[in-house]
Amino acid sequence: MFFKSPSRRVAESPRRLVILVSWCLSVLVSLTSCMEWDYGLEENFDTSASGEGLFICNEGNFQYGNATLSYYNPETKEIQNEVFYRANAMKLGDVAQSMVIRDGIGWVVVNNSHVIFAIDINTFKEVGRITNLTSPRYIHFISDEKAYVTQIWDNRIFIVNPKRYEITGYIDIPNMTMESGSTEQMVQYGKYVYVNCWSYQNRILKIDSETDEVVDELIVGIQPTSLVMDCNNKLWTVTDGGYEGSPYGHEAPSLYRIDAETFTIEKQFKFKFGDAPSEVQLNGKKDKLYWINDDIWEMDVTAERVPVRPFLPYNETIYYGLTVCPRTGDVYVADAIDYVQQGMIYRYSKDRKLIDEFYVGIIPGAFCWK
Amino acid sequence: MKKLHLILILILILSSVFANAQENDDIRWYLNLPEISIYAERPIKEIGVQQTKMDSIVLKENIALSVADVLTFNSSIFVKNYGRATLSTVSFRGTSASHTQVSWNGMKINNPMLGMTDFSMIPSYFIDDATLLHGTSSVNETGGGLGGSIQLSTKPAKEDGFGLQYIQGVGSFKTFDEFLRLTYGNEHWQTSTRVVYSSSPNDFEYRNHDKKENVYDENMNIIDQYYPIERNRSGAFKDFHFLQEAYYNTMKGDRFGFNAWYINSNRELPMLTVDYGDDTYFENRQRENTLRSVMSWDHVRENWKMGAKAGYIHTKMNYDYKRDLGNGIMAHMTQSRSKINTFYGQAEGEYYIGKKWLFTVNVAVHQHFVESRDKSVMLQDGNEGTVGYHKARIELTNSASIKWRPVDRLGMSVVIREEMFGNEWTPIIPAFFIDGVISKKGDVVAKASVSRNYRFPSLNDLYFMPGGNPDLKKEIGWTYDAGFSFALGREGVYSLSGSANWFESFINDWIIWLPTTKGFFSPDNIKDVHAYGIEMKGDLEVILSKEWKLGLNGTLSWTPSINEGEPRSPADKSVGKQLPYVPEYSSTVTGRLSWKSWSFLYKWCYYSERFTMSSNDITLTGKLPEYFMSNIALEKIISCKWADFSIKGAINNLFNEEYLSVLSRPMPGINFEIFLGITPKFN
Repeated sequence: MFFKSPSRRVAESPRRLVILVSWCLSVLVSLTSCMEWDYGLEENFDTSASGEGLFICNEGNFQYGNATLSYYNPETKEIQNEVFYRANAMKLGDVAQSMVIRDGIGWVVVNNSHVIFAIDINTFKEVGRITNLTSPRYIHFISDEKAYVTQIWDNRIFIVNPKRYEITGYIDIPNMTMESGSTEQMVQYGKYVYVNCWSYQNRILKIDSETDEVVDELIVGIQPTSLVMDCNNKLWTVTDGGYEGSPYGHEAPSLYRIDAETFTIEKQFKFKFGDAPSEVQLNGKKDKLYWINDDIWEMDVTAERVPVRPFLPYNETIYYGLTVCPRTGDVYVADAIDYVQQGMIYRYSKDRKLIDEFYVGIIPGAFCWK
Repeated sequence: MKKLHLILILILILSSVFANAQENDDIRWYLNLPEISIYAERPIKEIGVQQTKMDSIVLKENIALSVADVLTFNSSIFVKNYGRATLSTVSFRGTSASHTQVSWNGMKINNPMLGMTDFSMIPSYFIDDATLLHGTSSVNETGGGLGGSIQLSTKPAKEDGFGLQYIQGVGSFKTFDEFLRLTYGNEHWQTSTRVVYSSSPNDFEYRNHDKKENVYDENMNIIDQYYPIERNRSGAFKDFHFLQEAYYNTMKGDRFGFNAWYINSNRELPMLTVDYGDDTYFENRQRENTLRSVMSWDHVRENWKMGAKAGYIHTKMNYDYKRDLGNGIMAHMTQSRSKINTFYGQAEGEYYIGKKWLFTVNVAVHQHFVESRDKSVMLQDGNEGTVGYHKARIELTNSASIKWRPVDRLGMSVVIREEMFGNEWTPIIPAFFIDGVISKKGDVVAKASVSRNYRFPSLNDLYFMPGGNPDLKKEIGWTYDAGFSFALGREGVYSLSGSANWFESFINDWIIWLPTTKGFFSPDNIKDVHAYGIEMKGDLEVILSKEWKLGLNGTLSWTPSINEGEPRSPADKSVGKQLPYVPEYSSTVTGRLSWKSWSFLYKWCYYSERFTMSSNDITLTGKLPEYFMSNIALEKIISCKWADFSIKGAINNLFNEEYLSVLSRPMPGINFEIFLGITPKFN
């Protein structure tokens, strides 16, 4: 119906406006928030009865803060993911790099969050944290009140007091700039701590843990990625050889056996140019060496040549992490798949049989045995 | 709940459209205002084209916003926002940011190193027209737009003498925005100078749910924990933009133009919500200096037109990441420097034969010179070395099209395009468009199009140190579109238009950067993606009375974007799943109500939950819930003899939502800004 009277027209406009405004307001209210956030829910875990356990540090995606911690019970084959978040109702952070356990406390190094969390290894509850680190990679305990924390993009190793969660000092690394600073994994022989320097580096450092000074260094190949010490007090490191176009050089990678006492290279095992070996690990007795080089390789620490055939052949994926159960010798291999989904851990027996497989978090890179 | 909202949104858009259309029958008798006009003419250049146009009014509804914010609230494309005054990228139809080609006054402005464009660096005050060409339609203008393209442009000032506009904005978080425009125009000359300066410590407060603060006793036992209320740390910015334009029209068919846009940006990069570093110890800063300039000439005759453009872009980008060594000295952890010089040239021609035929040709060339230095390292011999690359690449694109409208109700268009990057050519890129008037009543037009397309890897994809992969192949896309549009209304009473389109895209050899066992990322042609869905939009303008005017528009998108590649490993769960960070549903609604010299604006947008994993698993740590965002603004214009004054109040995030666009990136809650403007009347 049309209203053609001017008086009706004037009267009609406010009514129409009221209807319109009411309608708009009702729509407005209906379009407001219903975002769902689950905060503050803390789960209670108690894994003290389980004995052996395996922590898996899932790096997450750099700059996305989605690192997680998983816990696996090898006996029951039960996997619990996101245990840090679930126990503490907060995120672990950005790039979970490594973890070590000392006296029932797990120390989780979260690289791009500039933090190391200390957690109860049975409840996963946080008990403290060390903050404001530059870009922490690994922590190594000298004593209850002193530990070293290696860094990338810093030419210092941080000295911390784990009891007070404080940074107490620094070890300056000679001939290393801040911009290409890189110190990595640490092993101890007597009072000396050995450190491999990785990114744009080619050295193993020897640090006197009493004076906190670098007392010696050993040149190896380009970019040694990891460091372990076997049952014979031999250090093992593997280099990745750099990359094509690197100003630091690009060479065939090598595995090195170094005598800790004399701090000299005993043996160099050369790989093919273009290979990318990584993740040198030892079994529980420390008499067998494992690493990734597309396939998974196993070698006696006394061997004089690299085996011809791998321990586990390449399986249409890029293996990203590796560990060996110190008790059973089972080999755990991490598959990051496409790096943006939950990675898979494959568990093999000593005789190469697949025992179990389970999904963990994004980019499982490091393991820690309870 | 998600479905309920989507239904609600749909009902809202449609009901607003139809309900008002019916009601307008009641009021049509007394309205005959010139602001609203209905047209049914379809330009022959736009046969079958799926596009979204944004005029100056939409772009300047809140001049403090970047084009990223404008697109968030006014289009169906996805804006990935890393924070306030932080990187914002846009993507069409489930594709990635580098699949969106962006031009400014005809010149491509995608960063040749990254392949994408940071829309947070484009102030809406500097853009007078924005056209979004969806999918296939982008082939009309450029190649490589596997998702689509966005054309940003400026327009000559009015031909009415001197003009001046100055607006001062003061907002939350000590945000200060200054806007100045000086114009002069006469029959032949139009000049314009625009300046924007924005600054803010940008230290908004938010409750950080990603971390807890510990309270210790004297023995360092935790006795309490709480979610801290933190400030956005390291988020300060100072952005300066200067735009100079000059146009000359001979009035005999020749037009000349010059545009130069200078950007000086100094931004800190905000710390993540999970960062436990002390912000006074760290500095994370990006500085950019960019000059973009274009000269143009157009020669227009009755049935033909030709034009040429030349341009130059210089970008210098510095990124510094430093930390205090404890002695007050800030040492560089990363010191990356990049320089880009781009020379641009373009020639185009159009020839009409009557009203039925249009022939076009276009050739454009961009020559890039890029110098990227990511890091200085101490070499084995003790000397200093540089990690980076230094490359040049020429990019040529040329096209020819025939557009034919044999009868008024039917139009067809064929575009043939070919591109060369470096010394590699694409195969022929064909595109076909068709549209037809189904009903003259309601101007119901059906459209369809199909095209093949290619995107070459960016220079970082190929050469970045470390990780660049010179063996990358170009990405290949096929896109189909089909849909309809309508427009109806009554002169001076209301106008109503809308469209709905189905699209389907297949992209093969999608380039993804992945970590390597050597500790850095490297790109590879990994994925095959099938993206499809529906885009809908509606627009309504109603004159309610002499003094009341209402505008409503909305968009709704459903964009599944599915990984259809081969499994990466036997454990791969990503095949057949939605791509991470691509919302399946999104929607926007804008309402404008004006009364006399008052105007009220309400803007709303919605993104459905985004997956953060390619497997689409939702975890506690990787959750990005859906969110709704509402902004409002109220403006009053006061006119006096010698000037117009404006006062405007804007509220962003009206309902103080806690939300995330990207994991671990804090976003501001409710915030306010007041703008005072003056426009003197010289004439």
